[in-house]
Amino acid sequence: MAEVKVKAQPPDADPVEIENRIIELCHQFPHGITDQVIQNEMPHIEAQQRAMAINRLLSMGQLDLLRSNTGLLYRIKESQNTGKMKGSDNQEKLVYQIIEDAGNKGIWSRDIRYKSNLPLTEINKILKNLESKKLIKAVKSVAASKKKVYMLYNLQPDRSVTGGAWYSDQDFESEFVEVLNQQCFKFLQSKAETARESKQNPMIQRNSSFASSHEVWKYICELGISKVELSMEDIETILNTLIYDGKVEMTIIAAKEGTVGSVDGHMKLYRAVSPIIQPTGLVRAPCGLCPVFDDCHEGGEISPSNCIYMTEWLEF
Amino acid sequence: MTQAEIKLCSLLLQEHFGEIVDKIGTHLIRTGSQPLRAIVHDTGTSLDQVKKALCVLIQHNLVTYQIHKRGVVEYEAHCSRILRILRYPRYIYTAKTLYSDTGELIVEELLLNGKMTMSAVVKKVADRLTETMEDGKTMDYSEVSSTFCRLADTHFVQRCPLVPDPPESADAQPPPPAPTLSINEKDMYLVPKLNLVGKGKRRRSSDDDAAGEPRPKRPKQTAESKEPIPDDGIYWQADLDRFHQHFRDQSIVSAVANRMDQTSSEIVRTMLRMSEITTSSCAPFTQPLSSNEIFRSLPVGYNISKQVLDQYLTLLADDPLEFVGKSGDSGGGMYVINLHKALASLAMATLESIVQERFGSRCARIFRLVLRKKHLEQKQVEDFAMIPAKEAKDMLYKLLSENLISLQVRCQR
Repeated sequence: MAEVKVKAQPPDADPVEIENRIIELCHQFPHGITDQVIQNEMPHIEAQQRAMAINRLLSMGQLDLLRSNTGLLYRIKESQNTGKMKGSDNQEKLVYQIIEDAGNKGIWSRDIRYKSNLPLTEINKILKNLESKKLIKAVKSVAASKKKVYMLYNLQPDRSVTGGAWYSDQDFESEFVEVLNQQCFKFLQSKAETARESKQNPMIQRNSSFASSHEVWKYICELGISKVELSMEDIETILNTLIYDGKVEMTIIAAKEGTVGSVDGHMKLYRAVSPIIQPTGLVRAPCGLCPVFDDCHEGGEISPSNCIYMTEWLEF
Repeated sequence: MTQAEIKLCSLLLQEHFGEIVDKIGTHLIRTGSQPLRAIVHDTGTSLDQVKKALCVLIQHNLVTYQIHKRGVVEYEAHCSRILRILRYPRYIYTAKTLYSDTGELIVEELLLNGKMTMSAVVKKVADRLTETMEDGKTMDYSEVSSTFCRLADTHFVQRCPLVPDPPESADAQPPPPAPTLSINEKDMYLVPKLNLVGKGKRRRSSDDDAAGEPRPKRPKQTAESKEPIPDDGIYWQADLDRFHQHFRDQSIVSAVANRMDQTSSEIVRTMLRMSEITTSSCAPFTQPLSSNEIFRSLPVGYNISKQVLDQYLTLLADDPLEFVGKSGDSGGGMYVINLHKALASLAMATLESIVQERFGSRCARIFRLVLRKKHLEQKQVEDFAMIPAKEAKDMLYKLLSENLISLQVRCQR
């Protein structure tokens, strides 16, 4: 051991310096940097020092560790999160990360388990912890009523989870839909009435009996019968059910882009109509509505000659 | 033929023509085409009676005959034609609305007698009308004849097929076992030039009888009609398909009136009236009619200006109903009526009405939805119709059990 090999310590071998350099690099590449990039930047630093710096940054919560196709990625973490996670350990941070990535669709607890590889009991403990800290919340999905999805506390759940405006607490609001149905129909009917009575030339009469979906939407909003805010697509689904009821017909016209209510250069117009035939003869006679239609034949116990419905009907 | 249909035909024949005709007719419906000997043998009635029964049925167009190979003549009954007897009151009522009492009685006589000569019809109808008129007034034959001509012009009555004149050939072929009847298209509605002069005759002393006494039976043929009938051999019958065409036109007009307004329906009625004779009953479109022609043919009371008519026609052509289409621009715009589309829409509306009345308006909503979208999954049905899942499932299965909707299982990928 004659000579002590003195390694020429380069001036920036200071661990803090290394960390700062790494953080600068991360800021330069917000999508993440690989180990290779750090090595290229600071070729004189040994692997061990590099690893130590990275580990320190990770444990301080300033860097994110991600796995990619090429290897490991290090990414700068947003600063505000570091405040929230004080007092939480790494596992909680991991679970929180997974939930945050799921966005506003939420993620099921089983999926969290797969992604984080943590045992179920741990997951449940962490989730309870996070919920009590008001960082995440559980939302019941409308598709499967037993399933709970977790998402960040301040996010609005996506429509596919809650069902949109027609569901409140997983129940389909049929009365609400019915009321909206009738209101839209009344609006269109009164518009057609006023158009008919104006007695102008037929073109104007017909054109004024149409209402665009935008007009109907405005009318419903002004009525104020809905606690939830409804979009134009919601109103269009209601108007579609009126079409399936045979009470309303729709035409699509090409509209200039700028006009109010036009979507993609088209505008949908709706008009109240009356059915083209009266109820047919078969259902006006008692046989059309008879519950024992299939059992009825001459000479049997139920027959046309001793039919009570017929007798009643003929005594008008 | 279903059992119920055969039973109904049998009851109709019995009520209108009697037991024997009923027996022969029902036998023919059940067994299809039969030669004379087989009918005699199977029904156990005498040859004479079978012949008379067949005469009655052929006279009323309920049975037709055909010469098969080896010279055998077979008779076939037409169940659908027998069921049309149920509609006779409706045909007679239609004639009444179009041509008043005279028309009504002409059509009634033709329907009840199957085939008649024009002179016989005119005479009988004049007599009947004279009965109902006040004392001293009589119905003139000419009036009845003119109504008859109008009925022929609008194709409600037509000439029956005749035996064609035998060709003058050197070798006298033996006459065929049954005559083959045929008629030229052009002659079908040609009214013979008759000079029917006369007035209706009242039946004597029929009004003065006391109520209780039985009326003496009057001979049908009075003694005076000994002179030769001028149009012997030219028989007329009612054309039922023309009446059906008229009903079809009526429902199209009322559909337009329900969907649009009265004026539009009058325009459509005018267009249909103009194409009554020129368009065959199973054509998909009427002949194109120009806007000028329609304007000229509008009923006299309707004085709308040409521009207003054009506007109405444009509106009709643009309507989502698609009953009227525009086929060109000459003559102020050529318009056709889309008959097949109109009938399809009316049929669909009838089906929807039945589902609505029988199962409720929510089921009707689902039914219309599936009709339009052709194929839907259960979840999509719930979403489009905005019906809660449980009720939607219930209704879908009810419609499925009544065979109004069918289910198709697709393999999941």
